[in-house]
Amino acid sequence: MKKYITVIIIAIISLISCEQDSICIDATTPSLVIRFNDFDNRSEIKSVLLDSVWAEDKNLYLKNKSLDSIAIPLDLNNNSTLYYFGANAVVDQINLNYNRKDIFVGRSCGYKTIYEDLNIKSITNNWIKEIEIINTIINNDTAAQVIIFH
Amino acid sequence: MIQLHKLLFFISILFTCGVINAQQELDTIALKDVFAIRVGVDISKPIISLINEDAGGFEIVADARVYKKFYAAIEFGSDNVTTEEDYINFTTEGSYIKFGGNYNAYDNWKGMTNEIYVGARYGLSFFNQTLNSYTPNIYGTYFIPEKVEPNTEYKNLSAQWIEFVLGIRAETFKNFYMGFSIAFKALTSQKDPENFQNLYIPGFYKVSLNNFGFGFNYTLTYQIPFNRK
Repeated sequence: MKKYITVIIIAIISLISCEQDSICIDATTPSLVIRFNDFDNRSEIKSVLLDSVWAEDKNLYLKNKSLDSIAIPLDLNNNSTLYYFGANAVVDQINLNYNRKDIFVGRSCGYKTIYEDLNIKSITNNWIKEIEIINTIINNDTAAQVIIFH
Repeated sequence: MIQLHKLLFFISILFTCGVINAQQELDTIALKDVFAIRVGVDISKPIISLINEDAGGFEIVADARVYKKFYAAIEFGSDNVTTEEDYINFTTEGSYIKFGGNYNAYDNWKGMTNEIYVGARYGLSFFNQTLNSYTPNIYGTYFIPEKVEPNTEYKNLSAQWIEFVLGIRAETFKNFYMGFSIAFKALTSQKDPENFQNLYIPGFYKVSLNNFGFGFNYTLTYQIPFNRK
């Protein structure tokens, strides 16, 4: 019986020590994914050389990168974010509006913010010819929610 | 935590002396089997709440021998605990009751009532959770999230679980017992708050991955001596 109890105690201790929920591994707050398409051939992906990308009152998010899509974080303290996109030596502004919703993920991750009712409040058309929202809900990082035609 | 370890160490020493005492008492010849009720408290909880101001609670324990080596056992108590995690801070408040039985696997000499036991419990808890604050979790540092303090109270929550218990108990002084037990727990059902989770449950304590839990208690019990000669 004593041996038996020892085995049980060891089994329990090893089970407890294997606990893996102290590190956040789940997906948290998503970014807005923008895809760049050709204006003349709307279903064709067309890469753009972005000179600079930044949000208002923030440092550069990236510079001099040729991309066919970009994931940009949205301001999760406000219901709007103003982004500047520089390409072909001109800069366009996109003012994005949305509602925020905090979703519980788990003990180690806490809450993530998802965005709903995404809309474009204003946009300038220097190198961007058209913008289209294909999904007003931003709850994952994998599918694009916005397409920019240029 | 160091303080806690020290206290537990001294309690353990008391406990060892008690075992020796108990063995010296055995010179009497005719002793009846004792069927009595023991009641007591979990002394680890008040000690922990002295050290950790975020934890408060009590537990009353009672057991009675029902048949040979089988004991019926009951525990009830309450917890008021604030848990701080990386991105959330919440307070759990409520009470619980657990009942079940123990099987004493220790062969006592005639007249002794020490125990090394295994047992099982069914636990039931009613509680409230208050989400004090949280910081939305975002990867990267381009936008720094602000801490939100919703103070949302989730009321009328409940949980049920089963426990597997291992423990030892010894008579330290006449009719006074000290005991230590550990419990491995598994939730069977619970009422979850909306857009939150029961991460701590009174009596079940921290809810780990896959709804498992772990707990221990250090008990001081008194045997009501109405049947003992």
